[in-house]
Amino acid sequence: MRLKFILRRFHEMKNSASMLLLSITLTSLFAYPASAAVAEIELVIKDHLFFPATLEIPAGQKVRIRIINQDSTPEEFESYELNREKIIVGNGQAVIFIGPLEPGRYPFFGEFFPKTAQGVVIVK
Amino acid sequence: MFLNAVIIVLQEILEASLLISVLLVFTQLFHKIWGKSFSLKTSWVAYSIILGIIGAGLYSHYTPQVSEWFDYVGQEVVNASIHIGSLILLLILAFVVPSKKITGKLMTRSRLTTFCMTGVVLLAIIREGSEIMQYVGGIAGQSGNFTPIVFGGIIGAGIGLSIGVLLYYGLMSLSIKWAYRLGLILLMLIAGNMGSQAVLLLTQADWLPFTPIAWNTSALLAEDSILGHLLYALIGYEATPSILQLVCYLSGMIMIAISPLFRKVQPHNQSLAGTN
Repeated sequence: MRLKFILRRFHEMKNSASMLLLSITLTSLFAYPASAAVAEIELVIKDHLFFPATLEIPAGQKVRIRIINQDSTPEEFESYELNREKIIVGNGQAVIFIGPLEPGRYPFFGEFFPKTAQGVVIVK
Repeated sequence: MFLNAVIIVLQEILEASLLISVLLVFTQLFHKIWGKSFSLKTSWVAYSIILGIIGAGLYSHYTPQVSEWFDYVGQEVVNASIHIGSLILLLILAFVVPSKKITGKLMTRSRLTTFCMTGVVLLAIIREGSEIMQYVGGIAGQSGNFTPIVFGGIIGAGIGLSIGVLLYYGLMSLSIKWAYRLGLILLMLIAGNMGSQAVLLLTQADWLPFTPIAWNTSALLAEDSILGHLLYALIGYEATPSILQLVCYLSGMIMIAISPLFRKVQPHNQSLAGTN
């Protein structure tokens, strides 16, 4: 009777141990993308200007820039330093991933209205 | 506004116009090398331009919807697909042209080559044309913008087409051997660039992992200099390419280099020098 009880406890323990292992594996599997979740920065285009005109991001990290164009005209986000180029339709939005980057200044501009639409990404 | 319109339209037109020139040179070279047995009708250019403009109109019309796909990276995915499609067509072209050893099914080969050339130019016009249409269509409607943008655009397009015509006649003025060699080098660079651009776009969309930059030549030749722009349009020059871009660029070049299109230069060298 006692032996049976011990055996059962042992089985339970084994089960719970394997469950624990399984749950750790699963958690780590699903947690991986979560832990690698990318920080998002919002960049607004209004009256052919970027708000904010200066974006600060940490070095060595990937960042998602969500560009929201509040003008009715399209704009093209362009940066030679960041190697990025993308049209954002009028009253639309777009997502651009940048980084991981080395510390430094990375200017960007709106190719369709370059006189006013100027900005810089500062990586620290 | 005027000067900006010139530059934007010039950039986009230049890529397509240089591509058309190189492929037209090959159309003429095939005719000279193979005679009637492997001759392509130059009318493929007209078809590709007309279809390309229609396609560009459709793409630019649907860009607001497309850009929302895949959590707002739809444009990158579609444009990268266009680049990959163009690269595949270029490779098919390079592998179906007859060589000294393989000369069978010339009719099928010439049809397939024509199809690939049409396809590559069509895709280039869809991609570049839709950007012009979005720029002109989206901004020329604003008061006071119409005249500078339309005239700037016409001038930009004129310069872009002129450079293409210049490249075409420049290459055609050479001996067949050298026209072929230079055309081939340009085609290799164009193919490499297509692979590299696809990688860049998919990295921007976070569909491909980040890879460190291979080098930084921005101090040597800035991308926003005139030569930088020209080289960008012609061979996809970038001051800071990533390692993955470089790998794909080289792969595209190597694929052309192992194709019959590349090998054919050698055996025909001597005989061609006489015919020119």
